[in-house]
Amino acid sequence: MTTAEVRTPSATPAPSGPRSWRGAAGARLIWLHLRSRRVPTAVLTIAVCGGVLRAALHWNWTFHSGLLVQEVPMIIEAGAAAAVVVTTHSPFGEPERTAGRWLPYLRLGTTLLLTGLAIAVLELTVAGASLNGGILVLARNIIGFTGIGLLSSLVTGGLLAWVLPMGYVAFAEYALNEAWVSPWTWPVRPPADRGAWLCAGLAFAVGLAAFTARGARTRLSDNS
Amino acid sequence: MTATAPLDRAPRARAAAPLARSGRWARVLRLEIRRSTVLWAIPLLAALFFFDTFRTADGFAPIWTVRSSVINTNMIEDFGPFAAGLAAWVGSREGRRRTGDLLTTTVRPAWVRHAAALGGTLFWLLLTFLLAVAALYVDTARQATWGGPPMWPVVVGVVEVTTFAVIGFAAGALVPGRFTAPLAAIATFLLAYVGFHAALQVRPGTPTYALLSPSTSVPLGDVGVFYHVAPDLAIAQVMFMGGICVALAGLLVLAPLFQVSYLRGFFSVAGRVSRWLCAAGVALLVAGVAAAATAFALTGTARLGVSGWDIPALHDAASDQPIPYTPDCAGTSFTVCLHPAFSPYLSSVATALQPVAAEVAGLPGAAVRAEQVTGGYGSVSLQGLRLPGASQVSDIAGTPPVYDFVSDNGLAPLWGTPAIAGGGFWQSGFQQEFLIAFAANPASFSQTAAQQAVITALMVAVGSPAPQFGEDMTNGQPTAGATPAQIAAAAQRFESLSPAARHAWLAANLPALRAGHITLAQLP
Repeated sequence: MTTAEVRTPSATPAPSGPRSWRGAAGARLIWLHLRSRRVPTAVLTIAVCGGVLRAALHWNWTFHSGLLVQEVPMIIEAGAAAAVVVTTHSPFGEPERTAGRWLPYLRLGTTLLLTGLAIAVLELTVAGASLNGGILVLARNIIGFTGIGLLSSLVTGGLLAWVLPMGYVAFAEYALNEAWVSPWTWPVRPPADRGAWLCAGLAFAVGLAAFTARGARTRLSDNS
Repeated sequence: MTATAPLDRAPRARAAAPLARSGRWARVLRLEIRRSTVLWAIPLLAALFFFDTFRTADGFAPIWTVRSSVINTNMIEDFGPFAAGLAAWVGSREGRRRTGDLLTTTVRPAWVRHAAALGGTLFWLLLTFLLAVAALYVDTARQATWGGPPMWPVVVGVVEVTTFAVIGFAAGALVPGRFTAPLAAIATFLLAYVGFHAALQVRPGTPTYALLSPSTSVPLGDVGVFYHVAPDLAIAQVMFMGGICVALAGLLVLAPLFQVSYLRGFFSVAGRVSRWLCAAGVALLVAGVAAAATAFALTGTARLGVSGWDIPALHDAASDQPIPYTPDCAGTSFTVCLHPAFSPYLSSVATALQPVAAEVAGLPGAAVRAEQVTGGYGSVSLQGLRLPGASQVSDIAGTPPVYDFVSDNGLAPLWGTPAIAGGGFWQSGFQQEFLIAFAANPASFSQTAAQQAVITALMVAVGSPAPQFGEDMTNGQPTAGATPAQIAAAAQRFESLSPAARHAWLAANLPALRAGHITLAQLP
């Protein structure tokens, strides 16, 4: 026996076990990822946001006409978006990035799943209630706020990623009062406004792509 | 060394101990201030302040009361949610990092750590808030011509930001987790808006508890100008929010008791927490709840007065006395006088009124002078609340006749920047208000066709654009008795008369015209 034999890498072992085992391992990986990001709590938070939105419409906490009709729904939509972006935080930090090649896909899937769920849950809870702007504005707001939050998570870390979307919402309240028409202030635009959809979609697409590729920052939030 | 030396040093050491303790606490506070997360949010807060609060205030009339109203509305919406969210972030630090057990072994009790962390957060929040208020007040001082900066809105604002921060901090300390900070921010944001919405619905005769929300609509221009703004409501708001702060401080002191999950643990922790600390926590909790409940009950007794919303138990009757002032006047043949707070508008008002006053001079009931009077709204705002018997619209009254106008007439209010008031549209609106008071019943929302035609003719005669009256319809028929085209034709006919003929006709028919007895066909 020579050392050459020792150094020669052996052929990659064939996956052992039946295909169903691999499927179970994948499902377990996904479940562990979702749990590590506190996705179940995020789902609960989104449901609470939906309940609050329904209550706001039912008990007339909102304005019925004028420039301010979007204010309260917008704040609650920002709450749902904040629940999504806070899940970007990883409790494992840097070491997790060396653990496997599936992490970007898990990030992408989790974010898409939660964003879709937030839109669906909030739309379900307002079914039958007269939400001004309808479900299109609701969906556009959640998509846009989440995009801003994802971008923010690259700088602030996941745990503080809610700050920038909140700042945007506070600014959008001013834009509502002043009846601004710029497409990048998409909460003030009509439901079918193409420019507003483009801006919100762009924020989401860029935020999602950057987050999928790089993940949330793990330093600033953790050190504070 | 003698045997007495240690005995001499002991009292000095005992005396120095509290100083050393306070010095150590100050050092902890200094560390918290230096490492505060709020520092990262200050640029965002500054940007929001500039875009939202500062620009909004800059578009208001340069009246102290009006400008300072943005402190409790726009500024709180900008600062409050971040105060709550960031304080929750700081409050949840021990729980988030799972260092609670480790820190329990240190010599400092939990409330000292909490106080330092909250103090560090509040330091930057309140410093930023007060600097923003200073910027707002400096800008107002450069433009205002009368009065001084009101302090109650600042006090209420500081207490409100503190309350938001304490709510967030308590939430973070008691329920630590990654969702606590954003939820605290969103919940307080929502609370501020729901309170704002509820405060707008308050009317005399309805429950007034919603006035506890400092966020409400912008007051009308002459609030705090002719009468003081009573501090009653501000006192109740401070008491309410201060009570919440004190109660939450009590909860934080008692926090170790809440952080156990089973009964035996509760008693063991209760045994470890100092008896005096427990008593202090309970006392704070009870005192805070009592103060908040008292303020809530007091606010329910609020009623509208000349100085705003009065709370009988807190009201000082001296604030109901009018504030003496010397009006600023312009013009000789027709004098126009304004309250000195509205001096920047004087030239615009005089320019608007002089031509139309000259056009009707000498006619019975024509005003010889114009004077601004109080609207008598107290701190009422755009909700349409008015005091019974107070001037509601501009009117001509007295002997000799004087045109008394209020600051918020519907067509050309003394609102916005004085530059806006100098525009042609605003000036024609002011002239229209004057002529409505002269030729029609100013308390009525609509004028007859003949009144509209005469007012239109008089305005066109002085070179102003024809006014817009709108077309009121009832059962498909114009309420004025004629269509706008018919009125315009009659106005053109009347305007084409010579000034002497118009004057003579008005001198003969003015009482009938005012009473609404002249038809369009009767106009020459």
